[in-house]
Amino acid sequence: MRINPRLKDDLRKYLIDKMRSEKNAVKVISSYNLGNEEKQLLKKTFPHYNWQTAKFIIDPSIIAGIIITVGSQVIDLSIKVSLSNLQNIVYESN
Amino acid sequence: MENLGIDLKLLIAQLINFLLFFFLIKKFIVKPFNLFLDREKKQDKEKEDSLAKVKKSEEEMVNEQIKAKEKSKKELETVLNQAKKDSLLIKEEMINEANKEAEEIKKRLKKQLEEEKNSLYKEIKDQIAKISMELVEQGLRDSLDQEERKKITIRILKNLPNYEN
Repeated sequence: MRINPRLKDDLRKYLIDKMRSEKNAVKVISSYNLGNEEKQLLKKTFPHYNWQTAKFIIDPSIIAGIIITVGSQVIDLSIKVSLSNLQNIVYESN
Repeated sequence: MENLGIDLKLLIAQLINFLLFFFLIKKFIVKPFNLFLDREKKQDKEKEDSLAKVKKSEEEMVNEQIKAKEKSKKELETVLNQAKKDSLLIKEEMINEANKEAEEIKKRLKKQLEEEKNSLYKEIKDQIAKISMELVEQGLRDSLDQEERKKITIRILKNLPNYEN
């Protein structure tokens, strides 16, 4: 079966754009709905991220703080991970 | 001589008779008898000599037997003493070996006990840490309201350096 070359090009372009947009897509996980103050602080601290298309997700299990995901990069600033790190330190001190 | 009643012829005849008798006796009886006596005497002496020899050899044998008995007694005593010494040495070696083995078992058990103790201690410590963390986490979840969570988040964000990339 022959595929229309134009359709093929369009599909390729669409997939490349999607990959690029996903690569730069910012996802912020917090334990509550972030207000303007926190969002401004985020923009100020991470000025190179594309905040216009950023997704904000609420996950109460992280207790407090935030988790920022950009493509495959993860910046975990949550209390949950801090406690986990502390637990690891306690384990290693044995 | 005749007047005296002595017959000379008879006297001579008797004399000759006597001499003849003496000669015959000496020749055929005394000499062999003497020879027999000498032979007997010699035989007696030989018997006595051989008896003395036998007696002497018997005495020597008895002496040798006594000496051999003494010697064997001494040897037996020496062997017994040596056996006693050897048995004492073996006993001592066995006791030392048993002590050594007991010491090794003791050390091994002590080490094992120590390892088990450490393992248990680590396990308890890990459990305590895990439970403590879970308690802290649960406590924070229960006690922090939205305002406090917000304060914490803002504080975290304010304390961050600027990310250029």
